Amino acid sequence: MSIVTGYSFAFWVELLFLIAVITMIRRARGGMRIPEIYKVAGLEAMDEAIGRCTEMGKPVHFSPGIGDLQNAQTLAAMSILGYVAKQCARYDTDLIATNRNVIVYPLSEEIVKQSYAEVGKLDSFKPDNVRWISDDQFAYATGVTGIMFREKPAANILVGAFWAESLIFAEVGSIAGAIQISGTANTHQIPFFVAACDYCLIGEELYAASAYLSKEPVLLASLVAQDWGKMVGVVLIVLGTIMASVGSDSLKTLLSK
Amino acid sequence: MKKEIPVAITLILAILYVAANYFTGVGFLDAAKERLDRWYLVVAAWAVLVGSINLSQIHGRRISQRREGWVFSVWLLICLFGMMFFGIFIAKNASHPGWTFMYNQLIAPMNATVYSTIVFYIGSAAYRAFRVRSPEASVLLITALIMMLGRVPLGRMLLGGHPALSQMADWILNVPNAAGMRGIQIGACLGGVATALRIALGIERGHLGGTSE
Repeated sequence: MSIVTGYSFAFWVELLFLIAVITMIRRARGGMRIPEIYKVAGLEAMDEAIGRCTEMGKPVHFSPGIGDLQNAQTLAAMSILGYVAKQCARYDTDLIATNRNVIVYPLSEEIVKQSYAEVGKLDSFKPDNVRWISDDQFAYATGVTGIMFREKPAANILVGAFWAESLIFAEVGSIAGAIQISGTANTHQIPFFVAACDYCLIGEELYAASAYLSKEPVLLASLVAQDWGKMVGVVLIVLGTIMASVGSDSLKTLLSK
Repeated sequence: MKKEIPVAITLILAILYVAANYFTGVGFLDAAKERLDRWYLVVAAWAVLVGSINLSQIHGRRISQRREGWVFSVWLLICLFGMMFFGIFIAKNASHPGWTFMYNQLIAPMNATVYSTIVFYIGSAAYRAFRVRSPEASVLLITALIMMLGRVPLGRMLLGGHPALSQMADWILNVPNAAGMRGIQIGACLGGVATALRIALGIERGHLGGTSE
């Protein structure tokens, strides 16, 4: 048994990262004070967007993107969906959750149903509002466009893995007059969301959403470990820049091992 | 137990899958990974059925209640079941001429049509984003102008054949833009790994219908 060539460094880094995450979680369970997390405007606006829908008597539209369940962004989106569904259930606001991926769809339905049950509003859950549109990217985009124009949601929450359909969703939401919160780690789609949406979760903010919204110390503790990882990344970048400048490629060799 | 069992299954399968990606020369790990991939495909195939039922229920109700636009729901169900019937009972494989005709002459052009509408959405989004309302928007506008002019022959023509705009566009793309994007990517990768760890360890249970442990 041996590590796949080129994966050694990644393996050890990931192992260290795992240890850091577990250490922070154990310390959080032991009552360690969690450092303050900076305010993420997009997540702060989540309740405002749902409140707007409640006041206007209009639904919230939620899309978890078009990624499958092997994509961490989709899983992060599912956590946000749970929060949004609970808030919608509390305020008796309709939530329309549209899905492209057939495996994500039953999960979305279960999460929304469970969230309604958790706040004691299972009777208000409408199975018709969790919809599978199509497995085809642009058929899904067309379906969402139709929903935005016909049902006119007052909030459009787009979080997860998006590709070319991102701008269609965001622009259609803007035309429909919805307050828009988006979030993706797909860097090539971030400019579209920034241009067309009111709030945008950029990259890692999407993954931090569940911890941020739940305010659970154990989840927040893992964000601290994530920040340590970023610091290690910064150190490696600076070190790599210096070594490349003096003509040494030993760090490059180490990374590719 | 409703949540403990899925969490335990997730942890075991996550360890197996991660180990199969990092280690080589372990027969049972490769076999387990291959089997898990196959299970995923089987589950996905069944999920298509679940999705089709959902779609039929929603549009069936729309038709029976004669809601606005119900005719489109009829058309959707005809297309859904027509294609399904043709694929299962007539074509039976993806190389059937009738099947390829439907794909190449119907689905592909419709996809291309929707894709091409993005150009109009880019126009309207750019109009809003580039309106000079703040110093940041001014920087965005200037950068966008350099990028656009640097990418088309007009930019070079305006400078009498000098490639300055094209060089500036290349620099913007390869230096500040690439640096920013890589920063986001590093953060996103770490966030993705942390999310995967939280899920594998059962700390984050949003996908099971609860927020956390």
